Amino acid sequence: MTELIEITIDGRKVAVEKGTKILSAAKELGIEIPTLCHHEALPPDGNCRLCQVEVVERGKRKLAVSCMYPVRGPMEVFTNTERVMDARRSVIRLHLNRCPQATILQDLAREYGVEPLDERFVAEHDDLCIRCGRCVRACAALGNNCLGFAGRGWDRTIIPPFDEPPVGCLGCAACAEVCPTGAIKVREEGNIREIWGREFRLVRCTSCGEYFATKEQLEKVDSCGVEVSEICPHCRKRDEAKRMKIS
Amino acid sequence: MLAILQDIQEKEHYISVDVMRSVACYLDVPESRVYSVATFYKALSLVPLGKNVIKMCNGTACHIRGSPEVMKAFEKELGIKNGETTEDGMFTLQTVNCLGACALAPVVTVNGRVFGKVRVKDVPCIIQEVREDETE
Repeated sequence: MTELIEITIDGRKVAVEKGTKILSAAKELGIEIPTLCHHEALPPDGNCRLCQVEVVERGKRKLAVSCMYPVRGPMEVFTNTERVMDARRSVIRLHLNRCPQATILQDLAREYGVEPLDERFVAEHDDLCIRCGRCVRACAALGNNCLGFAGRGWDRTIIPPFDEPPVGCLGCAACAEVCPTGAIKVREEGNIREIWGREFRLVRCTSCGEYFATKEQLEKVDSCGVEVSEICPHCRKRDEAKRMKIS
Repeated sequence: MLAILQDIQEKEHYISVDVMRSVACYLDVPESRVYSVATFYKALSLVPLGKNVIKMCNGTACHIRGSPEVMKAFEKELGIKNGETTEDGMFTLQTVNCLGACALAPVVTVNGRVFGKVRVKDVPCIIQEVREDETE
């Protein structure tokens, strides 16, 4: 059996398995910590630095990124001290400097009382990407690893390899789905979905007739040895619910 | 992966898309991974470099001892700007942040060969020397 460790978050006690990340421990207590790059279904990456909290462990007090910081022993965590708020404010300000148009950042800035940037530093560009890498992780988990970071420093971008339309892309749009700022553009018109400079043909649900997935997506599912049903998730849920009712 | 890319860089003077594809295939890693690594390191170039790569140190010591002036002299002599390659593919001019030989500031390396305490008037000689080595 895994070891249980009792930790204190904002004065409340919770026992969690060793190795649990602070963010999940806080969630168990219903304490909310803001995040941008974190996604429940994806491995944490600690990119956005927004989820910082203050940790007191073995007599040391420090800031830690809660989505990555594992509980290894008794510790006390504070999620809303002045130091934490300061750290978050500066993170938000930095992100906002890069992506002044992102509504999620504008909302955060309002919530945390981040002073608007000096006009001289507001970049005139419509970059919405905060380089959190959610799309990269989503593509690694669900797609064909078609996205990656390129370059470094300020010039770091997220693009398909060689900056060409990605050959292995399934058109599943998972990257766009998980993007916190809506930086990845998907265009859907009739039975065509366009993403990353490629066009994909959409397949209709055999039950309700709605377009729901690309041909490539279904082929990938097929290649995984799972039986392919050309029924959209919505109809599948409904059918499943009906079946349960009957039995 | 980095070791492979470095070897290719040394031999081919750049990393082509085809090469990156082959490396990905050889190592059985996604192409996006290779592309990330290749674009991250300054030591790897995705565009063909000249036969002779001139690296001008612009670290603190070299900067203070006049590397910007030496750089200008190189640019004038070769007719190219920082980061560019001459049309005949002979020279590429780059600045680097420190070559680790600050006592010899300002430092220039050509294909790894170090020239120390370079002054503006040494620039034509260095280029001449490299050209002569080439014809030998």
